[in-house]
Amino acid sequence: MALTTLWDVAYFLASGLLYVVSRIIPPLSGVLSNGDLVWGLSALVFGAILLAASMINTIMLIWFERKMLGRFMDRRGAMHVGYAGLLQNFADGLKLFRKNTFKPRDADGLGFYAGPTAYMVTSLLMFGVLPVSTGWSDGSLPLSMLLALVIFSFAPLFIFISAWSSNNKYSLIGGMRSAAQMIAYEVPILLAVVAVVVISGSFDLNTIVSEQRNYWYWGPLFLAMIVFATGMLAEMERIPFDLPEAEAELVEGWNTEYGGMLFAYFMLADYVRALAGSILVVLLFLGGWTLPAYFPAALTSLPLAGIVVLMVKTYLVFGVFVWIRAALPRVRTDQLLRIGWMRMIPLSLASIVFAVFFVLVKCIPVLGCVPSMGG
Amino acid sequence: MSEMWVNMGPQHPMTHGLWNLRVRIDGEMIVEVDPEMGYLHRGIEKISEDRHYNEVITLMDRTCYVAGMAWEHLYVMGAEKALGIVPPERAEWIRMLSEEFQRLASHIMWYAAFVQDLGLMSPFLYGMRDRDLILDLFQSYTGGRLTYEYMRVGGVRNDLPEGFPAQARQVLDWLEPRLVEYDRLCMGSEIFRRRCDGLGVLKANDCVRLGVTGPMLRSAGSKRDIRKDRPYSRYSQVEFDVATADSSDVTGRYLVRMEEMRQSIRILRQALDWLEHHPGPVLADRLPRWLGAPYAPMGREGYLLKRNYPKGVGLSAIEEPHGEACAYVVNEGGEHPYRVKFRSPVFANLSACSHYLVGYHIADIPPIMGSVDVCVGEVDR
Amino acid sequence: MEWNAEGVRAQLAAAGAPGILSVDPFDGAAARVRFSPESASALFPVLRDALGFTHLSTVGGIDWVERYEVFYLLWSDAAKRYLLLSADLDAKTPHIETASTVWPSANWHEREAWELVGIGFDHHPDLRHLLMPDGYSFHPLQRSFKLHEPEDLEVKVRHV
Repeated sequence: MALTTLWDVAYFLASGLLYVVSRIIPPLSGVLSNGDLVWGLSALVFGAILLAASMINTIMLIWFERKMLGRFMDRRGAMHVGYAGLLQNFADGLKLFRKNTFKPRDADGLGFYAGPTAYMVTSLLMFGVLPVSTGWSDGSLPLSMLLALVIFSFAPLFIFISAWSSNNKYSLIGGMRSAAQMIAYEVPILLAVVAVVVISGSFDLNTIVSEQRNYWYWGPLFLAMIVFATGMLAEMERIPFDLPEAEAELVEGWNTEYGGMLFAYFMLADYVRALAGSILVVLLFLGGWTLPAYFPAALTSLPLAGIVVLMVKTYLVFGVFVWIRAALPRVRTDQLLRIGWMRMIPLSLASIVFAVFFVLVKCIPVLGCVPSMGG
Repeated sequence: MSEMWVNMGPQHPMTHGLWNLRVRIDGEMIVEVDPEMGYLHRGIEKISEDRHYNEVITLMDRTCYVAGMAWEHLYVMGAEKALGIVPPERAEWIRMLSEEFQRLASHIMWYAAFVQDLGLMSPFLYGMRDRDLILDLFQSYTGGRLTYEYMRVGGVRNDLPEGFPAQARQVLDWLEPRLVEYDRLCMGSEIFRRRCDGLGVLKANDCVRLGVTGPMLRSAGSKRDIRKDRPYSRYSQVEFDVATADSSDVTGRYLVRMEEMRQSIRILRQALDWLEHHPGPVLADRLPRWLGAPYAPMGREGYLLKRNYPKGVGLSAIEEPHGEACAYVVNEGGEHPYRVKFRSPVFANLSACSHYLVGYHIADIPPIMGSVDVCVGEVDR
Repeated sequence: MEWNAEGVRAQLAAAGAPGILSVDPFDGAAARVRFSPESASALFPVLRDALGFTHLSTVGGIDWVERYEVFYLLWSDAAKRYLLLSADLDAKTPHIETASTVWPSANWHEREAWELVGIGFDHHPDLRHLLMPDGYSFHPLQRSFKLHEPEDLEVKVRHV
């Protein structure tokens, strides 16, 4: 049995576990050989692997950001726990986990607790949809990209719920800003994605990536990529678009009242979204797990090569986001919204027109565009 | 969303200290502001009445905790005038040197905090890194990094250590290109300009009317600088220009402070040259022994009054990093000052805050208040 | 113009400043002018408009036990000089006309002088507590407000 996909691995582990259990307790073998049970257990294992991988990656992403920001700021970043501070974030997480979670007296209990939890869960859902390499998920969802963007856009709702139920003026203003900002930037993001759809002819992320085997879309769709990445910056609420949690005026914005593990949920979910956003940029514009043709085929056919390639690209994209964070001040709300509605939307419309034009003439000799070779 | 009051403070990242800015906002627009002060009131003027003249210097370091030297200088000048003491020449130059180093350190600290309020993360740490070098210099001759207790009525406590001018020049050589770098990080950024241009406008005549001084006044085009207009210490013997701008907004204040740092470096170089070639005493001769400690056992009021204490009042004014600071020392005979009144520049600048905050966005509060450079220690005293 | 007591006195007389009691020679670049508190509202506009003291630096009070003194520190941009105005107030109910109608910057300084020294400022637009909490009924900078008895403290230290 070839373990080519993650599903295969999960199925193998689940059936192996059931087999061992049925050998130890023979009377159960009849129940345990039930196909539905095997399937269900494999699904659980699949989810567990996915969760573990995404959480570890998220925490590594935080470490990466801390180290990189440290270098930008002429200091060292985390360095004491583990080698080069690799375990620092686990230690921080442990600290937050041990903290007492408290609720302000006048806060609304349901929203206060449900908001961060739902925010965290929906953010993690992203990884069920995003393919990370050809061998990641078995079979593909025909509309996986739309699903990913829909899950991505859940966030303002939960942010607003938790901001509103914290019963704090800073949280309220932060939540308002957050909702306004995310809704404003949904539109250019979707329009930029339309350009990708026009050129690739598919809503399926797997297909979009495999369509990029000859040329990555960042050449023909450079404008769309800039719009998409900027929109992602706003969706992730990172500097220069981190006004909802602008600490200089709003303390911590919509998570002012949160502490302990609930704060950790927000913090982690922010980075989960950052990771997912960076992966989306890579999948849509930077060729996903493919490498340019001049890399030897032997390299790309190595096991896990696709995942490694994708993760390297993702960390590079995130590195650019960190760089922006280290170098730019934050904009003001009205400026942000003006950029969103009056600059980004025309630009994304222009990129759609450009994509249509590109499809019509099939290839325009621009950077990154090599003539298609029989693909 | 209808109008509501938001308390920005007392614990709030914008305040850079401990005060409460109550803001009435309509959506994101500021309709009314009402600052609440007093969270850091320690009664320095009252405590001074019970202290010997040199003991007040300890309090001066705590008045503005980022500009301790300037306040020490202000107080010792006032006390010397009230007591009729003249400090030696070298002490005056060392005081001027200390004050300019303090101005540099204070402005760098301001820069760091100001850009941090705008969300610029890296320059904050650059600023802290470079300020540390100046604090190291202070440590090398005062022993302290924040509270120095260095100046004395009648001079300064000790002379500069061996090799200090060379060390100080090294720091200045390092700082000069850093200032260019700071400028590039801010003025080179489109977002920075958009966040700061046309914000917190206070025209020159309003500044004068409302008692606003310092970089805020000079950013409106006025050239008032106590160092030039009423030279104290040895400011009449060094060359420097008064930094001004004419936009009277946040950018203008930024430019003024940047230019002031360059001028400070210029003054410092001249002061170091002078100090290198003019050794001498740093404390006046024959100072009264009761300046720092009780001279005779106290408890007998009549005995004290029989002694021949000098009487007088002293007024001193300096250009502190934040603006015009004055000290009015009333000496009615005796070992303690009868009354010490300090004029804090930030106190006056802050009292005008409704004139430069109302009508802007709530997101504009951090840059505007940052450009005022609030130091709550000297507002509340 | 010479910035000494005679020069200042002559200038004040020429501008028709009312209520001047005396001009003391004081500190080279500043003069100390005593005036009668009743003429405050007439004197302030003259100083600002005719003599060019546009900037009010600070307002403070001193408790001399048998009387109160209120002082104003003024600065003239044209002459580049300070002028220290001071007036003696009655010890029982010290009060004087506010300067904040002439120099708006006096607002907070007068609030401070009121709450710390206990000098009342008539017609002040907003005489609330500034540094002390609302409802605080003491005036800390009055001589009767003792932090501790310094003599007792000193004696104790001496015997240890």
